[in-house]
Amino acid sequence: MKKIWLIVVTLCLFSGTLHAAVLEEKVIEHTLGNGMKLLMVERHTSPTVSAWIRFRVGSVDERSNERGIAHLLEHMLFKGTTSLGTKDYAAEKPILDKIEQTAQLLAAEKVKRDKADQGKLAQLEKQLKTLEDEASKYVIKDEFFELYAKNGGVGYNAFTSRDGTTYLISLPANKLELWAAIESDRMQNAVLREFYTERSVVMEERRRSYDADPESKLWETFVASSFLAHPYGQPTIGWMSDIENLTRTKAEDFFHSYYGPHNAIVGIVGDIDPKATIAMVERYFGAIPPGKALPAVTAEEPKQGGERRIELVAEAEPTLIMGFHKPAILAADDYVFDVINMVLGSGRTSRLYKKLVIEKQIAADIGVFDAPGSRFPNLFVISANPRAPHSIKEVEQAIQDELELLKTEPVVERDLQRILNKIEFEEARRMGTNGGLARNLTEYEAIAGSWRYMVEYRRKVEKVTPADIQRVARQYFTRENRMIGFITKKGGEGK
Amino acid sequence: MRQLLISLCFIIASITTAFAGEPAKSNPRSMTFPELRFEIPQAERVVLECGMPVYLLADPELPIINLSAMVRTGSVYEPAAKSGLAGLAGSVMRSGGAGGLSPEKMDDELEFMASAVESGIGADMGTVSLTSLTKNFSRTLRIFSDVLLRPDFSEKRVEIARKQMIEALRRQNDDPKEIGARELSKAIYAGHPLGVVPTFESVKAITRQDLLDFHRRFFRSDNTILAVSGDFEREAMLQELNTVFGRNEKAAPLVLPDIPQPAQLFTPEVLYGRKEVNQTVIRMGHLGITKDNPDLYAIRILDYILGGSFTSRLTMEIRTNQGLAYNVDSRFDVGRRFTGSFIAETETKAESTAKAIGLMKTIIAGITKEPVSDQELKSAKEFIINSFMFGFTSPASIVTQRARLEYYGYPADYLEKYRGNITRITKEDVLNAARKHLKPDAFKLVVVGDATKFDKPLASFGVVRELDLDLKQRVPQP
Repeated sequence: MKKIWLIVVTLCLFSGTLHAAVLEEKVIEHTLGNGMKLLMVERHTSPTVSAWIRFRVGSVDERSNERGIAHLLEHMLFKGTTSLGTKDYAAEKPILDKIEQTAQLLAAEKVKRDKADQGKLAQLEKQLKTLEDEASKYVIKDEFFELYAKNGGVGYNAFTSRDGTTYLISLPANKLELWAAIESDRMQNAVLREFYTERSVVMEERRRSYDADPESKLWETFVASSFLAHPYGQPTIGWMSDIENLTRTKAEDFFHSYYGPHNAIVGIVGDIDPKATIAMVERYFGAIPPGKALPAVTAEEPKQGGERRIELVAEAEPTLIMGFHKPAILAADDYVFDVINMVLGSGRTSRLYKKLVIEKQIAADIGVFDAPGSRFPNLFVISANPRAPHSIKEVEQAIQDELELLKTEPVVERDLQRILNKIEFEEARRMGTNGGLARNLTEYEAIAGSWRYMVEYRRKVEKVTPADIQRVARQYFTRENRMIGFITKKGGEGK
Repeated sequence: MRQLLISLCFIIASITTAFAGEPAKSNPRSMTFPELRFEIPQAERVVLECGMPVYLLADPELPIINLSAMVRTGSVYEPAAKSGLAGLAGSVMRSGGAGGLSPEKMDDELEFMASAVESGIGADMGTVSLTSLTKNFSRTLRIFSDVLLRPDFSEKRVEIARKQMIEALRRQNDDPKEIGARELSKAIYAGHPLGVVPTFESVKAITRQDLLDFHRRFFRSDNTILAVSGDFEREAMLQELNTVFGRNEKAAPLVLPDIPQPAQLFTPEVLYGRKEVNQTVIRMGHLGITKDNPDLYAIRILDYILGGSFTSRLTMEIRTNQGLAYNVDSRFDVGRRFTGSFIAETETKAESTAKAIGLMKTIIAGITKEPVSDQELKSAKEFIINSFMFGFTSPASIVTQRARLEYYGYPADYLEKYRGNITRITKEDVLNAARKHLKPDAFKLVVVGDATKFDKPLASFGVVRELDLDLKQRVPQP
């Protein structure tokens, strides 16, 4: 009876009006002559617009003497250009050059470590400080931010990952031209002023995000230990000694080589007129030289060949991370892993949640995700916090048992249908915010080669069979392919 | 007929014509823009047959419906000896089954539909929320109403939630930032329910009957406001809501005990938590204001200038000029029912701890001494006024905002007058508000880190009380 009633109400609520077209029909693509890709969606829910620029350059593209440069550069690109952020660039530039010469001399002396001339170090540091004070007279601090803010811009930010770097802003819809003017200027004429102060800020960011937070520190160590050859192992922020040795010259070289239109994908979503937007983007960005293609990342991670266990002793309760190497996005098995991810870890009906949190009550929570990037073969990761008095070992065994079950028992139809239903919901939901949509368009265009990855996704997942899941589980969830990381509490009873 | 309220609300100047025939590139400093008239989107308020008000905004853009309920309750109503009761009730309302539907069946049914129903109780509000595809709304709504009004609090699920809460307590000192935030809040609100935090003992003392009683006391139709938005027909939605919530059943009169405001005590304290880390967590602050304070708008501007933006005084000096921190900010958390707080925070390497504390106190004191500059005032006003529209970017944010304003008893024209009230603020208003509401000499200062590496002893900021971060003695037996 309940069921019949339900259908009646559903019919009343569903008005019959056609819903806004699906993603596929809403995205407008345009490629500039210099290679810059523009993706747009018109949405008139509010008179606002979000604009995201995604550069195909991330920490995975750094060489060993550049570790941390993509992230530090992300910070530096907030510092202005030859015309913004400065009162008089012609007068400022010679001082910036002297700062760099001094900083290079200082770095050369510092690498001598114990043998460094302390007097010379002190003198150079003093000189650097004097020059920085002199240069600061010409600086208009954070003028990009100031311009965006006074025009009502919100969420002005940027982030760097293994795979890429993104700059984002949301503006009142009538002010999109401000974005075009600032961002095209930044792409061509960025000046990395206040470099060495900002480098100190990044060191504080590192202390805050990794050094002083045990779970993040374990994570950093775990990922680094998982990739011996591939640059996915190096932390995006860089190790402390990496950051200490980055220079403005290195950052400028990296910037001028790779941050051109050829490596840029722009997503603009909101209350726009696409035709006018294309004309405007052409006007501001069209004449910028394309920039260089990135050298291929050639390193390949060798087969692990045996379990690797990583321990961190810290002033914190035990936590467990388990990882298995797996292929990159677009590989057929990657879709199978997505299904496994949802079966094991998505929501209150997921197997690990039901088994470890509800039934056995040995874990306080569990998480399942892919990391640390998507462009290259990565890790399938399961994390869990044991619930006292239960140990890391117990939790690890319970997770192993669930992974074994995937190998032996086929996943039932209802579990697969639930996953498809969830994807259907997500397809609708993701159309609901300007920023979220701009993020997805630029991100998938960058890591999967096309935003259409999202369009084809449900069809690909539909094809995953219970037999695929068993095969993938048997192939990848092996001892030889396994990484384990855990925290042991300092001064605790041990494990 | 579909109510396309939203399309009527925005009258937007076309940007197309403005770009046409304009070949030149403009300078960001002097750029002008086509006009954009923004009118605040409205939501319709209807009272259901049971007496519950509902804010509605239909928008067919996505085949999704969002519904939320705000209930006048909160952890301020729980006895200190059972601290954690409200949080536990809020969590188990959803996880413990409802209306006779077992927890397992509810999880399965909701997740199979890709619907979500979630519940929670904070310091001064309880919420239950629903998100579902239009086609699954009716069934999801029934589960929502059961979670809201008829939770079963399954004994087994109560125990699981309790154990998880205890585990979270065991982990509460793992991240130094969490220690800093908690200890500052405890110090600022000492002696008030807002300053009480759950302990192993208080969480163990809570019974299932406590949860049932707490829920029954507050979760009733005469104590709840609804907000619904998304893909529906107005009439059909009202009919559905009336069907599900019915008419008001006879119940004992609603009794909400009076909770006094925190005592206006401004006494400095220095609290130290020892952690072997290379970076120190610094938190400082004291009581702030409520939303009814006439200085509210001056405080909003003060906040932006002092520590609320990337170009604020604190960020500019401590981060941009001196490179001492990645994160540094301050804010007045304006209290809606109870006096709010002013909090300033940063993290800096152990060796610059005292330097950063000193700078923060000096910068904060500075804004109580001299008027802000014309430029600072102008920038703050422009940001607040020009970004105002971002409070209204989705139908869900529009209806929940309206419901929230009613819940906390804001004036009916609060949003309509907001920008005008900001515009009127002068430099003198900001200075007066700063002098009245900032007392750097009375800060509660919380410092978590490795004192052996600090640049100056903490004692130079006052008498230091060390926090006991060792939970070992209090771990419950399994």
